[in-house]
Amino acid sequence: MSDSEVDETTLRLERLIPSPPEILFALWTQPAQFIRWWAPDGYEASVDALDTRPGGRWRTTLRRSDGSVRATSGVYRIVEPPRFLAFSWAWEDESGTRGHETEVVVNFESAPGGTRLVLVQRRFASKQARDNHTNGWSASFDRLTRVAG
Amino acid sequence: MADAPQLDSLFAALADPTRRAIVERLLAAGELSVGDVAAPFAISGPAITRHLQVLERAGLIERRIERQWRFVRVRADALAPVESWLSRQRRHWTAALDRLEAVAAAQTPKREKS
Repeated sequence: MSDSEVDETTLRLERLIPSPPEILFALWTQPAQFIRWWAPDGYEASVDALDTRPGGRWRTTLRRSDGSVRATSGVYRIVEPPRFLAFSWAWEDESGTRGHETEVVVNFESAPGGTRLVLVQRRFASKQARDNHTNGWSASFDRLTRVAG
Repeated sequence: MADAPQLDSLFAALADPTRRAIVERLLAAGELSVGDVAAPFAISGPAITRHLQVLERAGLIERRIERQWRFVRVRADALAPVESWLSRQRRHWTAALDRLEAVAAAQTPKREKS
């Protein structure tokens, strides 16, 4: 897909990583691996839930040394090891209320010397759009992989 | 996040391609009459009016009435919450992928030299 089709409500990051897709996929989907890279400096990451079945919940918490916490959570949509991940995403506030809900897809494509990783975060704008999307997920899959590819 | 309801309505308004085109047109032109806004679009006047109402409720545009003419323009800083959300998320993922790459490198066997 061309960049011009990426509208201003979509974030797209792409990079070549000199590691195979299998290692990267495990780092995203296995709790013990996930916490090794998720936390920024000064934070400690913990995994509260990580159920990679479609519809399964994930939730992770970042704890700072001053005691403040910041959680993110969502639901897995598609899990296809070691190539493709799709999940919903929202930051939570201190009371656990989920903020603006978005959808993330991550493609792990084999490339010479490693993996071409493409991450797309899409701000689904309305509850109706999200519901439609959840219901019609398989119909949206081709479009999403084009976005991610 | 405290800004979530505002973001939701902004993103809802911008999710529609016609409304995005209207906002882009207004960003380029400054202020336009409602008739001039509608001119390039092959949709009915009432449909344009509905789109403008959605954009106004989201705080993206404001209207001004001068005698019988109605004008619309993009509100100053209307897109700031979207841009700020976008740049925060971009920073978050860029830093996270840097860490992912470093941890993955430590787990990746060195290539055999042939």
